[in-house]
Amino acid sequence: MEYIEIIIATIFVNNILLAQFLGNCPFLGTSKKMETAVGMAMAVIFVLVMAGVMTWLIFNYLLLPNKLVFLRTIAFILVIASLVQFVEMFLKKSIPALYAGLGIFLPLITTNCAVFGVCVLNIDKELGFLPALVTSFGYAAGFGLALIIFAGLRERILIARVPKPLQDTSIALITAGVISLSFYAFRGMV
Amino acid sequence: MTIAILVMLGIGATCGIILSVASKVFYVYEDPRIAEVEYFMAGANCGGCGFAGCGSAAVGVVEGKTGPSVCVVAGLEAATNIATVMGVDPGTAEPLKSLNACSGGDRADDKFIYNGADTCAAMTALYGGQRVCSIGCMGKGDCVKSCQFDAIHMGPQGFPVIDEFKCVGCGACETACPKGLLSVKTMSQRLLVFNQEDHALAPCQQTCPAEIDIPKYIRLIKEGDYEGAVNTIRERNPLLLSCGRVCPHPCEEYCRRGLEDESVSINQLKRFVADYEMNSGRRFPIACAPDTGKRVAVIGGGPAGVSCAYFLRRLGHHPTIYDAMPKLGGITRYGIPEYRLPDDVLDWEIEGILNLGIDVNYDTCIGKDFTIQSLRDEGYDAVFMGIGAWKDYTLGIKGEDLKGVSQGINFLSTVASHPEKTIPVGKRAAVVGGGNSAIDCVRTLLRLGCEKVYIVYRRTRKEMPANEVEIVASEHEGINFQFLAAPTRVIDDGQGNVKGLEYLQMELGEPDASGRRRPVPIEGSETILDVDMVISAISQQPDIGFMEGEPDKENITITRWNTFDNDPETLQCSVPYLFTGGDVATGPSLVVDAIGGGRRAARAIHQYITGEEITGTPRSLRSRHIPESLFEVVPGVIKSPRTPMPELPVAQRITSMSEVDLVISEADAAHESNRCLNCCRICYDPDQKKAQDQNAA
Amino acid sequence: MAKSIASEFTKGLWKEVPPFRLVLGLCPVLGVTTSMKNGIGMGLATTFVLLCSNILVSLLRKVIPAKVRIACFIIIIATFVIVVEQMMQAFAYTLFLDLGVFIPLIVVNCIVLGRAEAFASKNGVVKSTADGLGIGLGFTWALGLLGAVRELIGTGSLKGDVFGLIHWDVPNIFGASFEPFGFAVQAPGAFVILGLLLCAMNLIPSK
Repeated sequence: MEYIEIIIATIFVNNILLAQFLGNCPFLGTSKKMETAVGMAMAVIFVLVMAGVMTWLIFNYLLLPNKLVFLRTIAFILVIASLVQFVEMFLKKSIPALYAGLGIFLPLITTNCAVFGVCVLNIDKELGFLPALVTSFGYAAGFGLALIIFAGLRERILIARVPKPLQDTSIALITAGVISLSFYAFRGMV
Repeated sequence: MTIAILVMLGIGATCGIILSVASKVFYVYEDPRIAEVEYFMAGANCGGCGFAGCGSAAVGVVEGKTGPSVCVVAGLEAATNIATVMGVDPGTAEPLKSLNACSGGDRADDKFIYNGADTCAAMTALYGGQRVCSIGCMGKGDCVKSCQFDAIHMGPQGFPVIDEFKCVGCGACETACPKGLLSVKTMSQRLLVFNQEDHALAPCQQTCPAEIDIPKYIRLIKEGDYEGAVNTIRERNPLLLSCGRVCPHPCEEYCRRGLEDESVSINQLKRFVADYEMNSGRRFPIACAPDTGKRVAVIGGGPAGVSCAYFLRRLGHHPTIYDAMPKLGGITRYGIPEYRLPDDVLDWEIEGILNLGIDVNYDTCIGKDFTIQSLRDEGYDAVFMGIGAWKDYTLGIKGEDLKGVSQGINFLSTVASHPEKTIPVGKRAAVVGGGNSAIDCVRTLLRLGCEKVYIVYRRTRKEMPANEVEIVASEHEGINFQFLAAPTRVIDDGQGNVKGLEYLQMELGEPDASGRRRPVPIEGSETILDVDMVISAISQQPDIGFMEGEPDKENITITRWNTFDNDPETLQCSVPYLFTGGDVATGPSLVVDAIGGGRRAARAIHQYITGEEITGTPRSLRSRHIPESLFEVVPGVIKSPRTPMPELPVAQRITSMSEVDLVISEADAAHESNRCLNCCRICYDPDQKKAQDQNAA
Repeated sequence: MAKSIASEFTKGLWKEVPPFRLVLGLCPVLGVTTSMKNGIGMGLATTFVLLCSNILVSLLRKVIPAKVRIACFIIIIATFVIVVEQMMQAFAYTLFLDLGVFIPLIVVNCIVLGRAEAFASKNGVVKSTADGLGIGLGFTWALGLLGAVRELIGTGSLKGDVFGLIHWDVPNIFGASFEPFGFAVQAPGAFVILGLLLCAMNLIPSK
């Protein structure tokens, strides 16, 4: 039950893109085409869960016992970057089919603040291992959901008549605002 | 503190070791340019470009999915650097320039009134846009917005105009245009474009076997930019002086003005600018791509071989021409008489082409001095076969071995090889055949002093395959035409000389497979023509006797017309290293066909020697027309007389080999170019509208 | 020379001001701009990291091998982020709590890494300093502006300070009868107001 609550809270209530404002660069960048958005969403879920686990382990078994909490930022970014790079190389060689669909999005995730942010949030909230894992998955799924909804809307907006100054990013942000408003309705659920 | 440093070093070292091992274990080859391109990107992996990270954007650039300006963070400087990286792609170290194919714009009518979003992409989503033309520009300027270098502007006629000096060839406009009208190409790539069904082509350009952009060069002549016109022609045809004189201009048959008025004199305009260059005292520069170090042997220095060598040279390769004759030009020199194409004109033209850096071996004959295999052994990367069709068909009648009987090409080349262009001829001569060679023979005979010259042709004047202008000119010169006559034997005077030609009278019967009425002999109608010389000029075929001594002859397929079998789109033969074009591939045909074939073969050779896949043109148009571009009526044309061809007076011309057809004056060229409707696929400029505009101004 | 340094500095303030012109680094732009104070604080923290990393990257640009340069840049940036984190915990603890996760997130801000890669790794120290300072201050005023607009609409007043040095207090600018429009300081408002600001920026030509 606890985990279902976490999932609902992370996907809908505290949606990482629309309520926490993490990962907005790829949110705007990769949402121009549905195809790209789906690939990105899958890649984020994949990496976020792995990074969540790795950073939790590093923090709780390496940094905390040695009283090196202040090194958190640098250690996390190093681990995430290496992890992403490793997974990319592994997929490229071993599972090219998966790489073609997912791998190209991996480098983008190195500096995705959603990944880094969730890892930091997990630590800040002092979650246990399993809750941290579920939280990571929930946030990532929420990212994917918002990204795919947004991409669908943007494909429609492309053929709509938008006043010149509002075109492109401006209208995209306002659209994101409206989606965010609709997600607002989930508030108080959990 | 120590622990902190140790932990960080530990994490760093572990990550580093794992990654460096992984990079070896999981190594996969990729295009080195991807890394170079990625180097110039911001590396922030921000996704602002719409690609998944810098790496994937770099792959996109290298694969041509997007342009160098893709990175929004790195800015203009990086875009320029990336463009440079992409530019140094082997063999194409030439500037990429954007080119707009549509010249319709506002000229095209609208199918409906469009009221949607103000972008081309959105408009295309609705039935392919509001314009009648299925491929034309919609004029909403997506390309203008996409250009980060301020190099594209919407022109006054509703289609974009590109500023070549500002264009860096980033390719943004190409991506932006939903119609694919803008293409960013290097000079080499432009030289290798062939007509496609979905191109913006006027009917004349669809018809031209060399695919010259006729409306463009005529427009440039109208604007007084003769050098631009010459360069436009040279993108497709290096032999403009020759073609300007001898081309039967099939393009004029399809001229839209011709439907309502007399067609535009396209070929005379070509000759006008070609002569303008020759008489200007300088050669207009011809650009060639950087050297590739690839060598190609070109067998035969006729129009096909010269054209192929010319295009290969411009693409940066090194062609070497092997010709059996002491001078280049092939059939244009030895088959076309001096009075139609003077030697000094041809010399000047070929010199200009050879100056680009083409080597020639004169007086070397395939089968005697070398074989295809020996060329391969010498290290040529590919071989082009363009030896033409020089073997005359004989009549197959009795008495053909008599003294005084000769064959068309044989006779013409003997005359052409003589420094004074003269050989002894008889007093009365008969030439059998109805093609251009036959006409060339009779007119040559007349100039050599023959008193009475006959053309003996088994059908009627209407069926003669020779050019109408040539037939008319020979009529003026007093040639006697003996139609519906089939030679049956050459009569011997008893000493081995010709005394006469016997023929059967024919009458026209039922139409045959070619749609022409078949001539049927009339029994007992034998008639004797009193002549002392007979030339048979019925047709030719390639002389491929040398194939007997060819080591690889089993693999090279020959058709039953003694031509080399090839893929009609790529002109590649049954062995991959051999390409062929011109008469040796098609059988006797036009000079301009051979020139087009030379270019087509050059494209395939270029692909072959640079290791690309040899591909034809998708939706290729070869000798077909785009149905929607062919009209029944052309509204808005005001009749205006066609400029007549200036000619030497008959009395003057039949006594010498001087050139008969003269060049039109600059004023006439201005008049004639103004008659052009500047057609595109569907659009054209009606005279009435031009007149209204002038009145309004 | 002086002129070009000046232009490197000023381009960040207007022509290439990050969130509006380049539309990058949006997470903090949206996340912390609930008030002008937070916006400016976040902007200054980012400026510090940007400036320091630009200087260091530019100094080390000939030493760092090209292949691992991105990793090196990230580590340099991460180091300065830790410095900022520690300093803010010491001197501006309430602001640090307000900005929360966005402070460590500077490390993955595209603008910082983007400038290091696109500018500092190719230019000298002086130019890079000017560039870092210019872009950073441009980022700061943009965040401040967005924060101010949201705070004004959301609460009707402006109140705050920068590290206790400068204070401001503008009460009830719309008059007493103004009903604060809470939407503006909530998440959806962030998107909509930034979108409208971008629209306003598009109306002003960049050159």
